[in-house]
Amino acid sequence: MVYFAAGMLLLLGMWDMVSRLTKGEIPSPIATWGTFKEVMTNPFQNDPDNKGIGIKLLSSLARVGIGFGLGSLIAIPLGFVLGSSRIAMNIINPIVQILRPVSPLAWFPLGLAIFQDSPKASIFMIFICSLWPTLINTSFGVSNIPQDHKNVGKAFGFSVWKYITKIMLPYSLPHIFTGLRLSIGVAWMVIVAGEMLSGGIGLGYFVWEEGFNGGSVGKILVAILIIGTVGLLLDRLFTGLQKRFTYAV
Amino acid sequence: MSTTTTKIATQDIADSILDPVLTPSTAISINNVTVSFKTPKGAYTAVKEISLTVQKGEIVSLIGHSGCGKSTLMGTISGMVKPSQGEVIANGKRVAGPGPDRGIVFQNYSLLPWLSVYRNIYEAVDSALKDLSKAEKKELVERNLKTVHLWDHKDKLPGQLSGGMKQRVAIARAFAINPTILLLDEPFGALDALTKSNMHVELLKLWNLDNREKTIVMVTHDIEEAIFLSDRVVVMNDGPAATIKEIVSVPLARPRNKKDIVHDPVYMNTHDKLLNLLIDKFSIDDIKE
Repeated sequence: MVYFAAGMLLLLGMWDMVSRLTKGEIPSPIATWGTFKEVMTNPFQNDPDNKGIGIKLLSSLARVGIGFGLGSLIAIPLGFVLGSSRIAMNIINPIVQILRPVSPLAWFPLGLAIFQDSPKASIFMIFICSLWPTLINTSFGVSNIPQDHKNVGKAFGFSVWKYITKIMLPYSLPHIFTGLRLSIGVAWMVIVAGEMLSGGIGLGYFVWEEGFNGGSVGKILVAILIIGTVGLLLDRLFTGLQKRFTYAV
Repeated sequence: MSTTTTKIATQDIADSILDPVLTPSTAISINNVTVSFKTPKGAYTAVKEISLTVQKGEIVSLIGHSGCGKSTLMGTISGMVKPSQGEVIANGKRVAGPGPDRGIVFQNYSLLPWLSVYRNIYEAVDSALKDLSKAEKKELVERNLKTVHLWDHKDKLPGQLSGGMKQRVAIARAFAINPTILLLDEPFGALDALTKSNMHVELLKLWNLDNREKTIVMVTHDIEEAIFLSDRVVVMNDGPAATIKEIVSVPLARPRNKKDIVHDPVYMNTHDKLLNLLIDKFSIDDIKE
């Protein structure tokens, strides 16, 4: 906690220095705090042409949630299959290796072509980029189940369902959460870029429209801070889950 | 008629190792079993052409140096290892895979770390004895946990238990499915000497409670343990392609007393015999090169 505070102070110090060097072109922390308070007034105001920052944040989170949720629903079971079957792994792995390095933004126009709808296209983009870390980590976890655990299932005649729920899932859970943590990190990073392309209501569009086009660097900084903080909280949430489900042998 | 007599006489001499004939009291019959594994360097034969018969209610130890294939041989009885040649008959049926008639206690306990002590046993009972009602399964788990004095710890996770307690859970789990054959793979290898002694007595107590009807095959590398527990000790040659070197009977009356037994001349003779079979260098003078 002390280190965290020290880090924050260092960040504020550097920020203040940059602000002085650019002669206020980049607003100082104090000036930004003013903008922050202004942005934060009525965060949940829901007028059609004047939505509060809270509404925008929630709408970004909802898109991430849907895309990430759908991606995980596919990635976890597929990871089980890849982790337990060498043949499936050998067939699917090259596909994963080719698709994984593709920039998430490249999927956006494809999504747009498929759905003819920009919010759906950004959800599609989040879905695709949420797949890979969870898929890779889940299959890694499953393929590393110790022989001891497998022997228990064999020796006592566990059914396939019991094997999945009592051995495979609990053993790979920490790996799954690592995957989910990486996925949500990527998803949260990508949503901002996606919303800049797609427009509509969200933090990405806020940065672009009100910050850059509106000529307010302060608002850009506020948005960066909000995005960073939410990203940190999401990461902490999954780290916590990962620890909760790791067992001493 | 005369051929039968001759056969029995030969059988006595060979200590019944070569007898493939099934009698009603035969629990396990290993017939000419060879196990080879494929390795990158070619086929590796762990055990070669082994035959062994174990009677119902008998306790037999397999002893030998590390890597001599005793665990592999045991695996062919449990069904975890498939013989490349020959077959194993357990309870009158050819072993094709693991089954609930054969309970296994693994070398490193093999408890599932995310399940409580209770659930670890319950899931095994639930899978192995599908036909029982839920209440009967629960009753079995409770009775077996109480027998090993772990009922008070039933809600703990394995990570919160000591080595001896974990092994008691593993033994309770194996007994809970009420197998006629119990297979123990170096069950006490990881325990300290005191805990180990207690566990030996507890194991025999469980066996007695069951009217000594369960057949127990145990892999070990501990001579004292083998003598105290077994009726016969099977000494194996070093691998690869390990075979049975000799089968030593332990003619000590039961119940055996851990403290008194060590002064018994029969115990000392058996101990010497096993030591000679297993070790050929007894002092630094014996090391020539």
